[in-house]
Amino acid sequence: MTIVAASGPNSLFDRFAKLNWGIITVLCILAMIGVAIHFSESASAADVWTNMPLTHGMRFLMLLSLMIIMAMFLDSRFWLAIAYPLYAGALLLLLAVAVIGETRLGATRWLSLGPLSLQPSELMKVGLVLALARYYHQLDPRRTGTVLWSIPPFLMIGLPAALIMHQPDLGTAMLIVFSGLIIMFVAGLLWRIIIAGAVVGVGGALFAYRYLLHGYQRERVDVFLGATNDPLGAGYHVLQSKIAIGSAGLIGRGYLQGTQSQLDFLPEKHTDFVFTMIVEQFGFVGGAFVLGLFVALMAFALQVAMRARSLFGKLVSAGVAATLASYVFINTAMVIGLVPVVGVPLPMISFGGTAMTTLMVGFAIVLSVDLRRDQQGARGLLW
Amino acid sequence: MARPKKIGSTLPKRDANVIFTRRAALMSFVGVGVMGTILARMAQLQATDAISRQYTQAADDNRFDTRIVPPPRGVVYDRFGTVLAQTSKDYQVSIVQNDAPDVAESARRVAAILGLDAEWARRAVIRVRGGSRYEPQPLKEGLTWEEFNAINVRLPELRGVVANSADVRAYPFDVVYAHPIGYVQKPTQRDIDNAMANPELGESRAAYLRNPHVRVGKAGLEASMEETLHGQAGWRKVIVNARGVEMGEDERERREPVPGSGVVLTIDHELQRTAMQSFGDQAGGCVVMDIYTGDILVMASVPSFDPNLFVNGIDTETFTALNTDEKKPLFNKAISGGYPPGSTFKTMVGIAAKQAGVADDWRISCPGYFSFGGRDFHCWKHGGHGSVDLHRAIRESCDVYFYNAALRAGPERIAAVAREFGLGVAHNVTLPNVAAGLVPDPQWWLAHRHEQWTAGLTVNYGIGQGSLVVTPLQLCVQAARIANNGKAVVPRLVREAPGVTPPRPPPIMTGVAPEHLAAIRAGMFGVCNEGGGTATRAGSMIGLSRRPDGVIVDAAQAPPGATPVQIAGKTGTSQVRIITAAERARGVISNDQLPWALRDNALFISWGPYDNPRYACAVVIEHGGHTNVEFDAPIVTARVLRETFLRDPANRAAARLASLEPRQSGRQSA
Repeated sequence: MTIVAASGPNSLFDRFAKLNWGIITVLCILAMIGVAIHFSESASAADVWTNMPLTHGMRFLMLLSLMIIMAMFLDSRFWLAIAYPLYAGALLLLLAVAVIGETRLGATRWLSLGPLSLQPSELMKVGLVLALARYYHQLDPRRTGTVLWSIPPFLMIGLPAALIMHQPDLGTAMLIVFSGLIIMFVAGLLWRIIIAGAVVGVGGALFAYRYLLHGYQRERVDVFLGATNDPLGAGYHVLQSKIAIGSAGLIGRGYLQGTQSQLDFLPEKHTDFVFTMIVEQFGFVGGAFVLGLFVALMAFALQVAMRARSLFGKLVSAGVAATLASYVFINTAMVIGLVPVVGVPLPMISFGGTAMTTLMVGFAIVLSVDLRRDQQGARGLLW
Repeated sequence: MARPKKIGSTLPKRDANVIFTRRAALMSFVGVGVMGTILARMAQLQATDAISRQYTQAADDNRFDTRIVPPPRGVVYDRFGTVLAQTSKDYQVSIVQNDAPDVAESARRVAAILGLDAEWARRAVIRVRGGSRYEPQPLKEGLTWEEFNAINVRLPELRGVVANSADVRAYPFDVVYAHPIGYVQKPTQRDIDNAMANPELGESRAAYLRNPHVRVGKAGLEASMEETLHGQAGWRKVIVNARGVEMGEDERERREPVPGSGVVLTIDHELQRTAMQSFGDQAGGCVVMDIYTGDILVMASVPSFDPNLFVNGIDTETFTALNTDEKKPLFNKAISGGYPPGSTFKTMVGIAAKQAGVADDWRISCPGYFSFGGRDFHCWKHGGHGSVDLHRAIRESCDVYFYNAALRAGPERIAAVAREFGLGVAHNVTLPNVAAGLVPDPQWWLAHRHEQWTAGLTVNYGIGQGSLVVTPLQLCVQAARIANNGKAVVPRLVREAPGVTPPRPPPIMTGVAPEHLAAIRAGMFGVCNEGGGTATRAGSMIGLSRRPDGVIVDAAQAPPGATPVQIAGKTGTSQVRIITAAERARGVISNDQLPWALRDNALFISWGPYDNPRYACAVVIEHGGHTNVEFDAPIVTARVLRETFLRDPANRAAARLASLEPRQSGRQSA
């Protein structure tokens, strides 16, 4: 028994029992909140059982099973092994999208594979986290502190980010850059580079914006960044969202009582603006509670990272936490008008399978890492 | 692959786990800070709202919409309570633009169902685009029940289209009251602009006028009594969704509309209908008045039109046809039509001559013409009348007598008498466009024609030609004032309405001596009832008798001892063309040989019953030329007056009482 325990749980029941149930519980609560919120805004009784709440719940249950199975049967060695191939594959698919992708709603994000369609940018979210983790895992710790060896991770982030920007999908690009940089940071990126990068990046952009761009180019940048909004476009969305949140008060208008969402003034309420729906019905308290759940989820993931013995495990868990944090931050900041509307959903709650799948595959890896936290990294094996 | 050891010595030793722990802790702080920022921003939005209520207000502005409820318009009744204009349900097909993916396509489909063409659909779309995107905008109003059902069953395939019913103004007797009552229409852009010009209420008034269900009076009584009839709009505070679909209503905020006040007219519907039908296909006007109260029992103008066509917007083709018709159906000839009075004016000249001292037995020899100032003024009777006095001159309408009489009276006196009898005056009968007509005198002539009045003009004045212009309403007032022995009765059309007072007994006309009037009345009696009279056929057509008990009945059913009911009147013919000397030499072209527009106007003023006058009537037939024997002005008058006498409320009451008495007495004797 001790040998088995030392090398991780081996019996199926053991593995199942030792899953990180804190993470699973929080995920379940978030998904249930999603079901309740989608129920609150389904137009009629018929919709309730054919439409969003049920779909949301069923989707979650399927992904939950998948997540648990993945966590139980796939260990870090597997994730380490597929890290680079997955990343390379996702990058190739992104290139393919740029060349032969299908345009929907003005953006080219999809690849049609017969009846299936695929968003390679989602694959990249997982692929990048794994690839960066593997890179730093395999890098001599002394080299992480050099400028030279910091260049490849920047490229690993920059290449897919550029391709995704090109689609254009500013939200996903921001997400990838955020979570990638956070991984680099926690992996030990030199402060010098961080400060220099910040100065050069911000200063250069401001300088270019101020002195190099022509008026019309600047205007394009404004529009692109959402600084200039047409009133019935994204600006209208944010305005309606701010009205809903601002008028909600401390405890909100009550479940099923949100006028902005019930009467459809709030656009994209089941996807991008689902957080607004929560706040409108449950007020500041409800919003804070949901944010608290996300913070708890991140804390659990960080706890896993702290406990993991291998750097790969640490970085992957931190990377998943970073991705989650980026999702939550961009989405909530967007609905309260702090950042432009870039179309990033609130994971686990927004309707739609993409973000949920990405997140739960990420958490499958986190759970897998946690399950085998006593295992030493498989460095020698892969060398 | 290089081994890590090779460079290891040149670089500082770093423990990846320690760095990770430190950095992750740092990142956590940042993360918590970021989430704190989000919470702070939420709190800020809500705090802002707690102070200014701006977001709560905006949310309310979003979901509450004030919907105008137009008031039901006041009902218009005739004097006995028959409904002449009312509010009724109208079936409509409307479109909510916001719900229709393609408004033009929906309109085309509706057009196909209703059998209308693409041009109609195109115009409907243009009209609809001007209105609210969220409230139903009517595509087509006035649908039949079949059309309404045809739309209803196809609604599922017509996105954004709704079949609805709305209150709309309806005129059940269509053509009969097109002129006195007029019609309502949708407010025009000019109405809206005028409303906007008012700085205080302009905005809300204009918004009200833009409501597709609002109508305003545009002609007749509907226009002149708009304030009374319209009522006050109500509103409903409804909860709408983002597409403007009504989801509920805040009942506490509801204000019911105040219906418009009802208006009772002096018109007698049966008489009005009789009058409208009595003209045949001719053009003209007819007014019947109570000579003591001034109540207008009939105000007819023919041809007429269907005012219902205007309520939901008349199509251009129909309007153009009505507007360009030479018989002017849109025009209220009874109050706005101006005509030379012709021989009807001889009654006025006769009174003026009496005032100037002309004796009853003053005689004139009529050879058929009157030479004056080097000109021959002709009498209508080619060979002349011979020796005529006032009585005969009126009865047989001798022109030569009145040429001379006019010269005796003088133009000032004639004009004064004419005005005293209500000519040249715009009588206030609560209608728009009441014409004042024209009674010229030497002063007017100088001021407007910049010439001295000549005696030749006076001669022409004697037979009601020249610049004289009168309306049927004025002619009726004139007849009434003759009939009531010189009381200045004032016509009225509205019997009961807010602010309308009962008529006071008319004042006695000071400038008119009763004996002068008696002579004129006797002459007018002769016109209808004595040999040589110009309207004896009309006189005989009344066909009524007064029973010994005073009840007026049909002459055929009259018991022995009944006396005939008689009328008095005066014919008139006014030329609308100049007869040249050459034509007169050849022989004047008779009216039935002339084009319609060049024929003489036929006029007839009358009153009766002669023994106990109560009603006056004036009829003008445009270009009638006294050619249409069955529908000449006196004949039309006879038909209308016969009906008027029979329908007299006092007479009907007496007849009913008389029919009950024998039975009662029979019972008593049994």
